[in-house]
Amino acid sequence: MSVTTTSIRPAKKLAFAWTAWLGLLPFFFFGLAFEFLPLLTTIRSSLTSKGILTLEFYRQAMQPIFMRSFGNTFKISATTALLGMVLGTLVAYAIITTKNKFVQNALTALSDVTTNFGGAPLAFAFIVILGSTGIITLLLKQVGIHLYPSFRIYSISGLTIAYLYFQLPLMILLILPSLHGLKREWREAALNLGASTYQYWVRVALPILFPSLASGFLLLFANSFGAYATAWTLTGSDVDLITIRIAALIRGEVQLAPELADALSIISLLIMSACVIGYMLLSNRARKARA
Amino acid sequence: MKAREVWRPVVITLFLLFMIVPVIATFIFSISTRWDRTIWPEGLTLDWWVAVTSHPAFLMTLKNSFIASFATMFCLLVLVTPTAYWMKLRVPQGKPIVELITSFSFGVPGVVLALALIRFYSKVPLPIINHPAILIAACMVLSLPFMYRPVVNALEAIDFRVLTEAAQSLGAGGWVILVRVIVPNILPGIISGCLLVFSTVFAEYTLTNLLVGTRFKTFPIYLVEFTRQDGRQASALAVISFVVAWVTSLLIIWVTSKGGRESTHVIGR
Repeated sequence: MSVTTTSIRPAKKLAFAWTAWLGLLPFFFFGLAFEFLPLLTTIRSSLTSKGILTLEFYRQAMQPIFMRSFGNTFKISATTALLGMVLGTLVAYAIITTKNKFVQNALTALSDVTTNFGGAPLAFAFIVILGSTGIITLLLKQVGIHLYPSFRIYSISGLTIAYLYFQLPLMILLILPSLHGLKREWREAALNLGASTYQYWVRVALPILFPSLASGFLLLFANSFGAYATAWTLTGSDVDLITIRIAALIRGEVQLAPELADALSIISLLIMSACVIGYMLLSNRARKARA
Repeated sequence: MKAREVWRPVVITLFLLFMIVPVIATFIFSISTRWDRTIWPEGLTLDWWVAVTSHPAFLMTLKNSFIASFATMFCLLVLVTPTAYWMKLRVPQGKPIVELITSFSFGVPGVVLALALIRFYSKVPLPIINHPAILIAACMVLSLPFMYRPVVNALEAIDFRVLTEAAQSLGAGGWVILVRVIVPNILPGIISGCLLVFSTVFAEYTLTNLLVGTRFKTFPIYLVEFTRQDGRQASALAVISFVVAWVTSLLIIWVTSKGGRESTHVIGR
């Protein structure tokens, strides 16, 4: 009897209840234990000295030696983000205007695969081709171009090329949906009204693409700002980036107040998360505009 | 071909060369006797491959990388799948907090995450500092979005509410519904999540180097050691990393092509 009544009774109403939050507790606990508590400890430690609130460590973090590290990181992030944005958009445009569907899919897949490359193997591959006895270096020597000693792969310019290896495909993946959103009719309408191709790009297409381009720039900037493994493998501590410096402080290679490392970390974190939040806001706007 | 049409093949060719030459060159370098004086390798050999794979550390680091990857994958699977399902079903209000936790690693540089974990766990009486457990936890934070996104997308693509109610009316309890009804229906999402986590953790260097260093040597740590000692043997290791990354990514593309695709990227390498 009871069996039949349960089976014909309508399913329990899945109403919202306070107790339902309990189901999310393990996940919240994970977030607290491995993200927010460690982060808060670091923030607190960067702001206190012997139990007293102080900005002393932030003042120390503004010393010229650290400003130089931040400066280098800014330089490489801005350069690779800008080059990645411009070249990535160019390649993405070439991809979507290719008539051959196979080429389109293959190139998109290639971007998908290569954007997650990075770190040690990538750095090593660039030593193989552009090191002082690298293959491209030797080839160029044959035709009379001597890369070395004016260029070194173990330098900021070398690092820029290596970073582009993952920045370029990332930009391609980010911009492709927006390029798909550019309607052929807009171009035809502009051209029919007497605009030149140049005018179409500058007055119509680029303003429409602007949020996507800017959001792409910000994500690429953050991507290279937080990078460590590629730079460390390629240049050791030759190139003075902020992540390299923080890592050296963690490993205890440099004896300095641990709170200083905390302050440097928090500044890096603020810069990187500002870029990522900017990226999220702008890309949401771009997505809404497409919809 | 019109002159204005020439730019496209040129751009695509240059792009392909830039993306492929480093990988091919590293492979040829790893099977060359010498390739640092002449345009073409002076000869071919498998010596470097034999040498590097016969070190006992080779299998050990490979094994450690697999352990770290699978442990992270398993823990994330157990943590994320029930959470995502429960949130969608019962606590949609919890979404902003869940997504804040999920996207944490996007805004935090790897070195900063490592530093914060060291600071906190050297003060609390939980002996996981310098232990592989802290690496697994850090890798979970790093790859959380890669598990969460595909699982939530897969959940949104099915009618999980109707499936749940149907299962309930047949008398199934919560866990049974999740494991026997929901999971089989979101399997492509779960698999692509697992593959993304695998490829992220397998290539992870920053957190490993700073959190456990030489106490738990993984494959990328081994590779970096070799880049400073012996370039040829390092090139063989780099080729292995490339192959693992390519195969995993191609599997992901293959799995996601069967469902809705969503590209996910690691940032801050």
